[in-house]
Amino acid sequence: MRPILAISGLSKQFGGVTALAGVDLTVEEGEILGVVGPNGSGKTTLFNVVTGVHKPSGGTVLFRGRDITGLAPHAISRTGIGYTFQQAMAFAGLGVLENVQIAGEHARATGGASPWPTPQALLDFVGLSALAGEKAGVLPFGSLRLLGLALALATRPSLLLLDEPAAGLNDRETSALVGLVRQLPGHGITVCVIDHDMKLMQMLCRRLAVLDFGSKIADGPTEAVLADPKVLDVYLGGEL
Amino acid sequence: MSIAPKALRSLLPVLVILALIALVPLASPSNRFLSLAISAGINVIALYGLSVLFGQTGILSMGHAALVGVGAYASAILARDFGVGFWLALPVAAIASAVFAMIVGIPSLRVGGHHFVIMTFAFGQLVAIVLTNGGDYTGAATGLDLTDHVTLFDADMTDLTRYYLMVVAFVTAAAVASWAIIHSSYGRTLRAIRENEKLAASLGINVGRHKIGAFVVSGVFAGISGVLLAYFLGHISPSQFSSFPSIYLALMVMIGGARLIEGPLAGGILVAFLPEVLNLDPVQSRIVYGVCLIAVIMLLPDGLIGGIVRALRGLFAGKPKPETERETAPSEARQ
Repeated sequence: MRPILAISGLSKQFGGVTALAGVDLTVEEGEILGVVGPNGSGKTTLFNVVTGVHKPSGGTVLFRGRDITGLAPHAISRTGIGYTFQQAMAFAGLGVLENVQIAGEHARATGGASPWPTPQALLDFVGLSALAGEKAGVLPFGSLRLLGLALALATRPSLLLLDEPAAGLNDRETSALVGLVRQLPGHGITVCVIDHDMKLMQMLCRRLAVLDFGSKIADGPTEAVLADPKVLDVYLGGEL
Repeated sequence: MSIAPKALRSLLPVLVILALIALVPLASPSNRFLSLAISAGINVIALYGLSVLFGQTGILSMGHAALVGVGAYASAILARDFGVGFWLALPVAAIASAVFAMIVGIPSLRVGGHHFVIMTFAFGQLVAIVLTNGGDYTGAATGLDLTDHVTLFDADMTDLTRYYLMVVAFVTAAAVASWAIIHSSYGRTLRAIRENEKLAASLGINVGRHKIGAFVVSGVFAGISGVLLAYFLGHISPSQFSSFPSIYLALMVMIGGARLIEGPLAGGILVAFLPEVLNLDPVQSRIVYGVCLIAVIMLLPDGLIGGIVRALRGLFAGKPKPETERETAPSEARQ
């Protein structure tokens, strides 16, 4: 089966610093893939290059067989790749409902019926409908993360990239998020999540890819990757 | 585009105020008062465009008078060289200003924030310099005369009271247009860009194109304002469209409040009549404006109208509500 996302030889240099040194990675349709690695290993750079925030120095990104390398962020979003940021989660000065409305208004025209036909339905899904009338800026942090997820889903993606979706969340909020993300493949949304929270990754992902110094050092079933001595060495300091 | 009844209600106060303003001639005001009011009204039209740019999109133009100038000169040159009258000059000048906005916007909006402000400031100066050195075509430093009369259904609108009423009608149209933009999905898109460009782009919004679009829209308002100004004054010169008038426009929209529909109206009227009421000479009034601007920026980030609305809400609710703009702070602090 053809992968939904095929990254090959992707590299990115910032001045003299190599953030990505030729990464090959495929995301299979319907899976939840985890990308892990220590701080500075190139996880966020990988996302930023795939989503067009940064132009790659080399390599290609194919989404459903189409070359999207180096397209502008808004153009990549319209091909059906949704993504959330670590920090910029929502439009703080605007209402919660208005946030989701905006996110849905520029989505790709094709892509079939959304599982959440209205902004309200999407807020119901992430459990924020009670806060629909509030300004996004007054939401507690956990709710803000969920709103960020709702915004990305409102663009009707077939592939969703999540950048540290659980950062700053408490255990209860994290398990709520895990519950939501696990449902996404059932709605036809493939997920790729980056995080260094191993507990989260074990809950979410059956396959893991590990980055270190901008290169992929392991890729396979979660259990196998976590048992790989190379991974234990560079990432986990020798033990889990 | 569907507009909720609640949104319609927000238009009502402005329409009531404008209806009252249209009744002013019944009190037989002095010619001086009417002239001042007409000038204020002509500014307010440009301010409604500026409110779309600044209030909704978050982009500040410090060269906006130059776009008004493009409209004014376009109408004067059209009348002189082609015998084109007021009503045809309106759309042509609006398009001319819009095209100018696009020409300035495409390179300028590639740079963000303060750099854009400086670019627009430079553009304003550039237009004044070009007009001053345009020889007979632009009338150089003396400028151009425009002595044609404006007629509407065979009635001569050049009479002060009639011109006043016509300007009020144009202000109303500008307010309604600005209101319609605010409450459309287009307005929502612009606000998204104002709040966070990176997030907006991630949701499929073409940020660059929409920013230029907002500048072009504000150019249309400026062009129309320019035509009304040229026909009102009968004479235009480069200094009217240089940096100081641009700063005044920015000041008016900030003092009034750029995000509320009443803001441009309040800003335009206040800045026009304040020196008159306080009997200030031009130097003194500049000092007062400066102090007002600092006070507004520090105390009333939503402008005067935003401040009044908040104070009233606080009065009715018993205690003051936290101001909307500062509400963004907690989430940012945590990031």
